[in-house]
Amino acid sequence: MFSKILVANRGEIAVRIMRTAREMGIATVAVYSDVDADSPHVIASDEAVFLGEADPSACYLNVEKIVAAAKHTGAEAIHPGYGFLAENPVFAKAVSDEGLVFIGPPAEVMEDLGNKTVARRIMAEGKVPIIPGMISCEADVDRLCSAADEIGYPVVVKAAAGGGGKGMRIVEARKDMAEAVELARSEALTAFGDPTIYLEKCLDRPRHVEFQILADTRGNVIHVFERECSIQRRHQKIIEETPSPALDEDLRERMGAAAVAAARAAGYVNAGTVEFLLDGSGKFYFLEVNTRLQVEHPITEMITGLDLVRSQIEIAAGQPLRFSRQDLTRRGHAIECRIYAEDPEADFMPSPGKILFMRSPEGPGVRFDHGIQTGYHVPVNYDPILGKLVVWAEDRPAAIERMIRSLRECVILGVKTPIEFLIEVLSSEEFKSGNTHTCFIRDNCAAWKPDRGEDALAAMGFVAHEMAAPSFGTSTDESSTKSGPSSPWQTLGAWDLAR
Amino acid sequence: MEYRVRIDEQVYPLVATSMDDKGRCTMGPAGEPEPVVIKVVSSNHVRLEIQGRARSIFAARSDDGTWIWCDGRARVVKDADLEERRKSRAPGATAREITPPTPASVVRILVETGDRVAKGQGIVTVSAMKMEMTLTAPYSGTVTAINTSIGAQVSPGEILAEIAPDDEGDGNE
Repeated sequence: MFSKILVANRGEIAVRIMRTAREMGIATVAVYSDVDADSPHVIASDEAVFLGEADPSACYLNVEKIVAAAKHTGAEAIHPGYGFLAENPVFAKAVSDEGLVFIGPPAEVMEDLGNKTVARRIMAEGKVPIIPGMISCEADVDRLCSAADEIGYPVVVKAAAGGGGKGMRIVEARKDMAEAVELARSEALTAFGDPTIYLEKCLDRPRHVEFQILADTRGNVIHVFERECSIQRRHQKIIEETPSPALDEDLRERMGAAAVAAARAAGYVNAGTVEFLLDGSGKFYFLEVNTRLQVEHPITEMITGLDLVRSQIEIAAGQPLRFSRQDLTRRGHAIECRIYAEDPEADFMPSPGKILFMRSPEGPGVRFDHGIQTGYHVPVNYDPILGKLVVWAEDRPAAIERMIRSLRECVILGVKTPIEFLIEVLSSEEFKSGNTHTCFIRDNCAAWKPDRGEDALAAMGFVAHEMAAPSFGTSTDESSTKSGPSSPWQTLGAWDLAR
Repeated sequence: MEYRVRIDEQVYPLVATSMDDKGRCTMGPAGEPEPVVIKVVSSNHVRLEIQGRARSIFAARSDDGTWIWCDGRARVVKDADLEERRKSRAPGATAREITPPTPASVVRILVETGDRVAKGQGIVTVSAMKMEMTLTAPYSGTVTAINTSIGAQVSPGEILAEIAPDDEGDGNE
């Protein structure tokens, strides 16, 4: 087993990986950019290496600097987290070329699956059902239009190198093709360094159901049940749950078998996720394989008791899986809500800024994986995820109630978050009935506005705080750096809160 | 004490008596204040008990007002009286300006100085947190200045391009 690993990421996922490493007795190395010098992931690490300026290409996307940091600190393996270099085969290869271990699948597998058109060909050959559409890339708008005529509108323009909803646009009619192609290509180039795109049929209100895969270096491949990730905005998941309300045991068995077949067809090793779209008639189609730890992996951990990061590290160290499919049971229901710095009233526009105050939700069945603290500046340079709130309960209705309770306790002030919006989605009859699909937010929550019914209470709360605040002396602005008459408590507060 | 508390467009006039040593006082709209109990939990947390039902209120002050949290709802709450005293300038016609809605970086400039542009035409594309958005012309006119460049880090309020309107009488004001 490794004695030290480097985590090539930031924010909540870096913190989460370091926690497991610590439990395994493995020392951790963080990397950071200038805007992240005081970030929770740096604080959580055993040692930290400065990479460079805030621009991702100078830090978290910089292969050379990260590999050098691992060599310099004596780390034996690198965990890439999700995003940034996690699905970059060039990085994986650079890591192994230096005699280090990449905690993830082999570079070649990543390269095949990272290219969606290649992945579609592999799956078609492996008899895994794929979504109707192109199996090669195309840049010419006229030829794309002809292909779309054949497939039938609406179609989805997708980045071949894509993932996480980036570089993806739905096209309803021929006239919108040129602009969608331009935007998708540009976004794909920025996010993945590769602008190539292709077309797929846009299915009507499908569900997004994915299977967690674990594969060791000895040829054992198992699935660890499904996750339903249908509640999305801008093609990015915001609420995930397991088990899926749409699956019965028979469908679960068939989809799980297809996921294992997909992993075998690709020669997969380590943790991965096989994503499917599921239509109303129970037909499912291969969407893509995510060759990384997923953002939403904790819900699988909650219902199985597994630690997927531990499994990843053990597999990377060459150990066989410690359990078979038959050893795994699932229990209860888990839900995750992603908490981003974004404004649900303004089409989920990013809302960077300073966290003036935060308090984590607690209590039975609650897990909040986050990378923020009071006084923390949410930088403009990276994905605006603040954390993931995960709950477990004995069944779906209890899990929904527990999530609503936890969201109410998840205090984040200073930046906009979707918490109020998430509470409304979870409280809706449509969600409670399990009728979730990828157009759920568009169909049910378009032009969402907050409920003003309790604003009068907020006004009274403001007055109560104004009346109560003087008891803290003249420097009542506890969240700012304004200096007032100093007491040990204020000094401690500023030190504790701000940095 | 009388307060005029503003949340977005709505002003709530409230009256409150001072707290006794147990935090008891009355508070509410003028003419119908109710007995309440205020318990200070920390500098950011008060417990407000109204007729036997307690709510936890979290608060944090900023330059724009106080962020108030109650049961998952966050509101920026302002003292309307204080605001009026501080009011220095009329609200600008921000909707008529080419400015990013959030801190962002410029990825494309779609027009040049001297170009004629139609209302709704894309002017500058910016990217924030890996998401791209195109800022469009609020009215038809001629581009008189481009005040930014590709790669520049820009903030709300920063005017990225200036457009002279076609006709003063187009009724947009």
